Amino acid sequence: MMTQHTIRGLVAIAILAVTQGCVAPQPSANLLAPTEAQMKVRSLQTRSFEMKDRQAAIRGVITSLQDLGFIIERANESLGLVTAARFAEPNYYDVVGVTVTVRQEAEGRMAIRANAIYNNKPIDDPKVYQNFFATLERSLFANKH
Amino acid sequence: MRRALAAGACIALSSQLAGCVTHTQPDAFFQLTPESAAHRSMQTRMFETKDETELLSASAAVLQDLGFQLEESVRGVGFLRATKERSAREYGQEIGRFFLGLLSLGKSRIPVDFHQKIAAMLIARPIDQKGARQEVRIMFYRVVWKGDGQADRQYLTPGEQRMEMLRDPVMYQTFFSKLSKAVFLEPFAL
Repeated sequence: MMTQHTIRGLVAIAILAVTQGCVAPQPSANLLAPTEAQMKVRSLQTRSFEMKDRQAAIRGVITSLQDLGFIIERANESLGLVTAARFAEPNYYDVVGVTVTVRQEAEGRMAIRANAIYNNKPIDDPKVYQNFFATLERSLFANKH
Repeated sequence: MRRALAAGACIALSSQLAGCVTHTQPDAFFQLTPESAAHRSMQTRMFETKDETELLSASAAVLQDLGFQLEESVRGVGFLRATKERSAREYGQEIGRFFLGLLSLGKSRIPVDFHQKIAAMLIARPIDQKGARQEVRIMFYRVVWKGDGQADRQYLTPGEQRMEMLRDPVMYQTFFSKLSKAVFLEPFAL
């Protein structure tokens, strides 16, 4: 037999469960603060090259992406932006997207940063970026001669 | 009835297997493959001209001749992107769909390719210091949408998407032969 106490207890628990769903989740104060992991990823994604011509650097980026079988989706010369994507043949459901920015760091130095995503998730595997920059270096070198 | 069951089992099994395909490792995407050089040579041609803009506008004209609509162009980096949409229906697939439907007594209809978007991406760039020689590289690819289908009582909704690079050498040869004609003819057009 259920006593009044048990019923009250049950009602209290039910109310608690209902009201808990109503509290809006609060964003933490340091939501936008940079983390150490972010800094690490950024250094992986960035490499600087000794080049004077910014346009040649952008063209080098495009050439190396083409060699890797990427489809160039967008290119903005004035901002030094190149966006490209490719899918894993024959697995057409796996898609890799990459955005590359070319910025002049100092006189005669270009900072090139690549951000890659795999099926809409950011890639932070250093090997991916090492491979990309190795290909890029080859194409920038080939362009000079 | 037994045939219908067998067909149903086949479809169920193949859809189960589709979930088991291994995913490609992302670092493989950023490495050149042995085929890269062959693809590059198929997709690239050189032109003896100083006028990069002329080459780019001739390329755009050829793409238009081939029925493409230009979607994006950036002259500074010699970039063009164009697409065209066409039906993707093929007799072979329709026949297959018909016979499977017949065998399963109308209980299963395999989805067939229905619509496709063919896209071309082109880059023109100078390849020597003086800029007297230009290189044009074009890549064709397509996105295919499937129509609807049915597996026993389950209706398969249309719109399943698939993408593929187009690597038929004839396609590239056609484009470049048209482009070289356009580049050669245009200075004499007046």
